[in-house]
Amino acid sequence: MRQYIPSLVLLLCLLFFWEIMVRLMDVSALIVPALSAVLLVLWDGLITGFLWHHIWITSVETLLGFVLGCSIGFICGVMLGEMEKLRRLLWPYVLATQVVPKLALGPIFIIWFGFGMTSTVVITALICFFPLVENTMTGIQIVAPEKRDLFRMLGAGRWKTLVRLKIPAGLPTIMAGVRVSIVLALVGAVVGEFIGGSEGLGASIIAAQGMMDSSLMFALFILITLMGVLFYQITLLFERWLLRNWSKGKIL
Amino acid sequence: MTDTTFFDFDGASYAYESGATILSTVDWRIPEGAFHCLVGRSGCGKTTLLKLAAGLMLPTQGQVRVKGEVIKRPSQKVGFVFQTPALLEWLPVIDNVLLPISLHRLVQAEDKDNALELLELVGIADLAKRYPRQLSGGQQSRAALARVLLPWPPALLMDEPFAALDAITREELQDDLLRLVSLRKTTVLFVTHDITEAVYLGDQVAVMEQGQISRIVTIDLKASRGKNFRHENSFSIYCQSIREAMGQKMPEEM
Repeated sequence: MRQYIPSLVLLLCLLFFWEIMVRLMDVSALIVPALSAVLLVLWDGLITGFLWHHIWITSVETLLGFVLGCSIGFICGVMLGEMEKLRRLLWPYVLATQVVPKLALGPIFIIWFGFGMTSTVVITALICFFPLVENTMTGIQIVAPEKRDLFRMLGAGRWKTLVRLKIPAGLPTIMAGVRVSIVLALVGAVVGEFIGGSEGLGASIIAAQGMMDSSLMFALFILITLMGVLFYQITLLFERWLLRNWSKGKIL
Repeated sequence: MTDTTFFDFDGASYAYESGATILSTVDWRIPEGAFHCLVGRSGCGKTTLLKLAAGLMLPTQGQVRVKGEVIKRPSQKVGFVFQTPALLEWLPVIDNVLLPISLHRLVQAEDKDNALELLELVGIADLAKRYPRQLSGGQQSRAALARVLLPWPPALLMDEPFAALDAITREELQDDLLRLVSLRKTTVLFVTHDITEAVYLGDQVAVMEQGQISRIVTIDLKASRGKNFRHENSFSIYCQSIREAMGQKMPEEM
C-alpha cells in the first residue's frame, strides 16, 4: 500500500492546484468549473440516485461487450493459433476489424441494431475482440518445445495438447489481453453511448453538453475514470489469483 | 540383430532440408537392460540421435528399431527425460507425476498411491502437494524422474537431465538413478557432455563427433562401483581415454 502514497499525494496536489487556479484566475464555470462545484454535482447525483441508473447501464454494457468480445476473441485466437492455413487466410480481416475506426461504424450499427444497448454492446465487443485474438493466438504458440515433446511422448493428441498444455501455458499472455480489453471495454461503451445511446454515462455527457453543464460533464469524467480503475483492479486481482502458481514473471 | 537388442540404429542419418547433415549413418545397438551413455561436444548431434530413438524425429535415411519394430512415432515403451524438468507449473507435483495417466483416463485412488510410492522412491514424497515454483532445481528433476517412471517404461532416454544442477545434487541424483533403473533392469540411453558423469553411470560410453559415433568404451568396473568409484585411479583412466577420443578428430587440433 505504501508504494501508492506518492501517487496519492500527487493527485491531491493536482486537485488542490485545480481548485486554487480556477478561483484565483476567476475562470468561467462553463470553461473549467471548480473542483468543489464538480464534487458537489457528483455528490448530488449520487445522493438523488440520478447517476446510479446511468452507472448501471454503462456497467452492464461494458461487461456484456467485454464478455462477448473476449469470448469470441478467445475462440478465434485459439483457432487461428492452431490452424496456420486459417491464420494466413483470415488474419488480414481480423486486422481490418481493428484498424477500422469504431466510431465510423457506429451509425451503421444503429441502422442494424437500433438505438440503445445492443449497438453499444456490439461496438464494445468489437473493441475487446482484437486484444484477445492477438494474445490468445500468440500465447498458445509460445509453449516450450520440451513440453510439446513431453506431450507427444505421452501420446497426447491435438485436442488434449491444446486444452491441457497450450491454453494453460499461454494463460499469462491471454490474461494480459483481458486486462487491456477491460479498459477498452469502458471506452467502447461510453463512445457507443455518445453515438446511439439515450442512457448511460456517455449519453449523459452528451446531454450535459446540450445543457452547457460543464460541472456535470466533469463529474461524469471523474466517475468514468473511477469505474475504469475499479474494473482494471478487479481484473488484475482475478489474474493474480488465477496465475498464482505460474512460476515465470511476476505480474506487475 | 539379437533378441536382446532394445535400440537398434541401422544406418540412421538425419539431414535438414537445406542439406546440412546432423547425423550420418549411425549403426549402434543397445542391448536390453544396458545403461549406455553418449558423450560429445555441443552441437555434435547427441540430442538428434536421442530424438530419433524416441520417435520425436524420423531419420532421413536408415532406420531406428525399438525391440525390433521400426519406430515411426513416440512409443509407450520408451520414456523421455528432458534437459529441463518440463513440469507444468499450474499443477502440483502429484498431478505432474500423474500426467501420463490423467492424459488418457480418470485417475484412480490406486494411481495416486503408485505416484506417492514413486515420489517416496525419488525422495520427495513430502512435496507432493507443492507447486513446481516452490521446488529447488534438484527437487524438480526428481519430480520429472517420478513422472517418467509412473508407467515405468522398459527404456529411458535421458537428455542431459542433470546438467543444470550443482555438483553435489547431481551426484545424489546419479546414485538415485542407478538405484532406480537397477530395480527393473531398465534400458537407458543417457546423453551428457560431462565425461565423469558418463563414466560413472554407463556400462558403455559412446563418443559422438560430427554426427558419427567415433568410439565406444566399455566400462567394466561396474561391479566394483561404489561411493568412492569417482576417486579411484581406474575412473580417471577411463575419463582420460574418453577425453582423448573426444579430442582426436577435432579440426582445430588436427
